[in-house]
Amino acid sequence: MTDRKTITLNMGPHHPATHGVLRVILELDGETVVDATPVIGYLHRGIEKICENRNYQQIIPLTDRLDYAAASANNIGYCLTVEKLMGIDVPKRAQYLRVIMAELARIMGHHLWIGTHALDIGAMTVIFYAFRDREMIMAINEEIAGYRLTPSFIRIGGVARDTTDEFIKLVRDFVKWFPKALEGYHTLLTKNKIWTTRTMNIGVISAKEAINYGLTGPSLRGSGVAYDVRKAFPYSSYNDFEFQVPIGENGDVYDRFLVRMEEFKQSINIIGQAIENLPAGPIQTDNPWISSPGLPEVQNDISALIRRFMINARGAAVPVGEVYSAVEGAKGELGFYLVGDGSEHPYRLKIRSSCFYLASALPRLLVGHMVADAVAIIGSLDVVLGEIDR
Amino acid sequence: MVTLKIDGSDLSVPAGTTIMEAARSAGIDVPSLCYHKRLSPIGSCNMCIVTVEGRPGPVTSCNTPVEEGLVVVTESEALDVQRVANLKKILKHHALDCPVCDKAGECDLQNMVYRFGITDVPFEPRTQKRVEGYATSLIRYWPERCIMCRRCVTACREVKGIGAIDILGENEESRLIPVAADKCKSCGECMFVCPTGALTENLSRYKGRPWLGDRVKTTCAYCGCGCQLELDVLENMVIGVHTKTDDGVNRGSLCVKGRFGYEFIGDDKRLKTPLIKENGTFREATWDEALDFTAKRLSAIKNEFGPDSIAGLSSARCTNEENYLFQKFIRAVVGTNNVDHCARL
Repeated sequence: MTDRKTITLNMGPHHPATHGVLRVILELDGETVVDATPVIGYLHRGIEKICENRNYQQIIPLTDRLDYAAASANNIGYCLTVEKLMGIDVPKRAQYLRVIMAELARIMGHHLWIGTHALDIGAMTVIFYAFRDREMIMAINEEIAGYRLTPSFIRIGGVARDTTDEFIKLVRDFVKWFPKALEGYHTLLTKNKIWTTRTMNIGVISAKEAINYGLTGPSLRGSGVAYDVRKAFPYSSYNDFEFQVPIGENGDVYDRFLVRMEEFKQSINIIGQAIENLPAGPIQTDNPWISSPGLPEVQNDISALIRRFMINARGAAVPVGEVYSAVEGAKGELGFYLVGDGSEHPYRLKIRSSCFYLASALPRLLVGHMVADAVAIIGSLDVVLGEIDR
Repeated sequence: MVTLKIDGSDLSVPAGTTIMEAARSAGIDVPSLCYHKRLSPIGSCNMCIVTVEGRPGPVTSCNTPVEEGLVVVTESEALDVQRVANLKKILKHHALDCPVCDKAGECDLQNMVYRFGITDVPFEPRTQKRVEGYATSLIRYWPERCIMCRRCVTACREVKGIGAIDILGENEESRLIPVAADKCKSCGECMFVCPTGALTENLSRYKGRPWLGDRVKTTCAYCGCGCQLELDVLENMVIGVHTKTDDGVNRGSLCVKGRFGYEFIGDDKRLKTPLIKENGTFREATWDEALDFTAKRLSAIKNEFGPDSIAGLSSARCTNEENYLFQKFIRAVVGTNNVDHCARL
């Protein structure tokens, strides 16, 4: 008898099923994974360091480029952190608009996930339906923010622009349309024999282990832990809305799939409630040092012109102090730890990337499975490398 | 020494110091627009008002000397209300041209407005347009940006001792005019002290915003004074000259050459290679070739006609060390005392 030998297989960084530039070094015994090492850093742009040289307003577009699949949620996480340190209250209307944008972003992120996840496993049809519906959200983003994928719509102290009639109409149309589309996704996958066989009992992680690995978001809830930042530490008026936190039982790929499918529904519910109950009022906090005056004011008022100039050219100074605040991004708890030194630039901005923890659980999840299951597991964690590498 | 209390902390300062200077020495930033370190107190902006215990109203800290046992408060809501009112008065007629103003970004008025978070000052056009009075080919006066702080007038009189300009006219008609235009040397001292963009330079106008370029600290190359200045460099071109009040022997002042004579640096017509004259026309040469040629001819002339047939003329643009080396070369190598220096530019 000869010794059993393993072979090393390089998966990624250009493998289409690694969703970006994740590289996993797999040790294979036949087709079974005996060891897996995720290698990250291919998308490192030094965002945290760049932030130290930008003023607080200029950092917002950088946060879009973290989890670019659900960009608005990152904006909110960052802006909430700065607002917490500055002690700013955001008007109710802006909070609701933020919620709409965040939930649309979540749906957008999940669209990308379901399309590619199903594609990885071999169900090609789903991505076409998912991207058809994702396009509707892109149109909404374009209408209100001018940008489709990375709207940078949230500002410190509020949001960038007020709603238009077209925006309200597009959101209402989407709220009306989407549950039907969601049923379509379910028909394609949920009871599909191939799908269930490929996903059930694959990549199982228990609740306790998931917590120990620092998993958050749908991947944690798939293991049965009902932790959602929106419920646990409500921000931006989330306690005004009725929604549920779906959880799974087994913590396998299929449960994580079901959790996200249910999140689609909860998110669209929240958007529906927010758009119908959108309060009237200002969209920016009334603070002369932070809220940049609008064009009509600027054209008639030298003080507004100067403030706009100063806010945009130099930026607002943030008090000395340290603060952590987190939001529920599409992938999990996205946290920002900010150290302000009294200047217009952060002394340090640490980003707690939920995807980093998801990727670090990969060795634990992959070992013992077939190499074909690796793509299912990576897909079910829904990692975005823009956020891991920063 | 006089001891007094400012904002709760005890200070001990020499007699004759003003409250403003005492406060700033303790790191308290009393707002002001017209006060300038090099000038005697003007007291026109009323931004530096402070409360002194026992006095009926607020006093301007820039021209109030300290007294034994004074208790001064520099920050209070009542003071801020007055300061905001003063600022609003200044802003009422101020031109809405920050987007095109060369000073925007380093403007004291902007900083002050942002510091106090001023809102709601709708623009009111003047009933009578201010006349554009003072101007030279290098300096431009923008009457609508002028806040009438009188810094320029004071600087012209006190620092330069010229008194070429003055503010004339009452209220809306007040404007800066050259009362002795023939005495004005365009030194730019008025421009240097101007807290706003009311006096700007004509050469660097619209070439780049202050925050876009780099500020390179250097010594003025014109004469031997060694004035400290900062060159505004944008895309490898010098687009302006700035000075700092605390810097060097000149403490912010410059003459007309130092402040405005920088355009030659990026000029196309500058000599970049040595030239050798052959048959009446110049041709470009390498340094080796030029130096060899010079050395050969100098030694030939020296051998044929003696060292006194050669003379050296140096330039004030060179450093002391270069000038020393030059006279050493003429005296020791060539062997003549025929060496001089233009001594002026």
